[in-house]
Amino acid sequence: MEFINLVLGSFSLLLSPQILLYVVAGFLIGTIFASIPGLTATLALALLLPLTYSLDVSTALMACASIYMAGMCGGSITATTINIPGAPSSMMTALDGYPMQLQGKGPLALGHAAFGSMVGGALGAILLIVLAPFVAEVALLVKTTGKFSLLAFAIVVIVIAQRGKVVKAGMAACIGLMLATVGLDAMEPMTRFTFGSSELTAGLDLMPMIIGTFAISEILIQAKSNGCAEKMVEALKKITISRRDFIPPLSEIRKIGVMCYLKSSLIGYAVGTLPGAGGSMGSFLAYAETVRTSDEPETFGKGNPKGIVASESANNAVCGGALVPMLTFGIPGDPVTAIMLGVLVINGIQPGPQLMVGQAELIAPMLASLLFSALILIPLTLYLLGPYFIKIVAIRKDVLYGIIALLAVVGSYVATFSTFQMMMSLIIGILAYYLRKHDFPVITLLLGFILGPNLEEFLRRSLSLSNGNPMTFFTNYDSLFFVILTLVFVYFLAIKKPLKKPF
Amino acid sequence: MLLNKNVVFHFLLFFLSVGYFVIAINLGAPFANNGLQPSSFPLLIGLFAIMFSSILLYREVKLMKSKASSLEDDTQTDNALSGKGRFTPLAVMLSIFLYILLFSPLGYFFSSILFVLSIIIIFSSLEKVLQKIVISTIIVSFGYLVFEQMFGVRLPTLWG
Repeated sequence: MEFINLVLGSFSLLLSPQILLYVVAGFLIGTIFASIPGLTATLALALLLPLTYSLDVSTALMACASIYMAGMCGGSITATTINIPGAPSSMMTALDGYPMQLQGKGPLALGHAAFGSMVGGALGAILLIVLAPFVAEVALLVKTTGKFSLLAFAIVVIVIAQRGKVVKAGMAACIGLMLATVGLDAMEPMTRFTFGSSELTAGLDLMPMIIGTFAISEILIQAKSNGCAEKMVEALKKITISRRDFIPPLSEIRKIGVMCYLKSSLIGYAVGTLPGAGGSMGSFLAYAETVRTSDEPETFGKGNPKGIVASESANNAVCGGALVPMLTFGIPGDPVTAIMLGVLVINGIQPGPQLMVGQAELIAPMLASLLFSALILIPLTLYLLGPYFIKIVAIRKDVLYGIIALLAVVGSYVATFSTFQMMMSLIIGILAYYLRKHDFPVITLLLGFILGPNLEEFLRRSLSLSNGNPMTFFTNYDSLFFVILTLVFVYFLAIKKPLKKPF
Repeated sequence: MLLNKNVVFHFLLFFLSVGYFVIAINLGAPFANNGLQPSSFPLLIGLFAIMFSSILLYREVKLMKSKASSLEDDTQTDNALSGKGRFTPLAVMLSIFLYILLFSPLGYFFSSILFVLSIIIIFSSLEKVLQKIVISTIIVSFGYLVFEQMFGVRLPTLWG
């Protein structure tokens, strides 16, 4: 209850014009990035990460939360209008959104998407606010061996969640873990993999890792495939929209049914709590469930607003779910929460259960911003700026990537004021580019890098405490719980037959 | 063609994994005094990396052999990829590399204008260069406002 009061009290921070400006600007940037195919909210956060150095940590996290929420719903704009999902999480939205656009109901489809996002985002945030303190209390009970098993569980789940490319995901995670071992050993005064370079003694910085993995590799990917831009600009020029077209009538919302909103949001939230699952999986499962339980499944994929609602409610509810493991265990569930974790680390704050218990006042404003973004900014932005956003996404690609390249490279200089970090960003970016080109999921690389140091430390401490006996991982109940959980997930995600496509 | 690019890439990953493992071995014994030493974790990671990269390399070699009969398709794909799109990522890499080298000696403004202009040209063409120089200058000034004026980051200048 105390934490809920703290979150409610944090809404007052939004009355400060400066903080409100950062939250609203973050939301607009997130929406613009998510609505432009090829750009994502992750890229927006990676580019803005260096700027968080000069911000108060709570304000930075509030801006991050609004970017995250915007990033989940912004992708529906181009998914609906031109059948190109601006973000991967909006793939399912395009299935019914674009047919509605072809029927001349594009704005209405966007209205349904925004309303679904609002409900899903708000429910996800409320569940997070209510449940996170309890999860944090439970997390405090997890001791060293349990922490190792939990981190190992997170990495295994992230890897096996990458269906169809598990080996590649495993390899990428190993590369991340390898990079995490560069520098001074955490327990002995000994350097590893530094090749005599004094600049590598402290290890690789998180900033060039994030900027290289998400920003520079994205520029290189886009440089290779800048083909469909002109077609997109032409398609967007033909679209004219007025504001009132965005508001879905109450009769249609009733027809969709409260259960559809609730169930999809809960599916999204639950999926979000799993490391590596993300918005795409959340919206896919919610969409599949909605089709499965519908009386008229044949109407899906032909412009049924229920499909849009299921997809958008779920992917926005993922935001709340994904923050649970990040805040309570220090395990990021997706790239955005990984970068948010970076904001904490950069500011010298150790994520984990102690953070929720001891420094809740730093976290509460972020959750208030998440709820504010879902309830107020999603509908307001679409209503006020929807018609313009559709035109904004037609921005010249050469200019856009000129701006992104400058922000990315100079951004990596900000961390240490050294060109060494800029060079590291380039090297990591080239590595991530070639990995992505060969269909390796780079998120597992980043999570391997982030979780690696703790994974090693807890492994060594656990074995040290048990005089080198590896059975300690099976004799301690907290550890055994995560070992069994890992096996359950391996069974359901990697061994049991996957869900058939519902359409 | 004896080896395709995918095989070369996966071979490099395998080589990287083996190299990492060998360096980890040289870090010393993995166990001492009933505890793990600094080399233990890298050895474990190295082993996993070798395992994953071997599987991937084996798959690629197998795929290459099965595709050997349809050599014409590969040639067509290669031809389709030749041209501007094939070299633009390399041009971007080179552009960023030169920018980093020139960033401190030339200062933020001059190096950034050249860099942004090069990126714009890579993503478009050499037409309307004057217009692109103006756009680059505006972007760089905007970057200066964001970094130095709004967020107080001290950027290098030509005059020290």
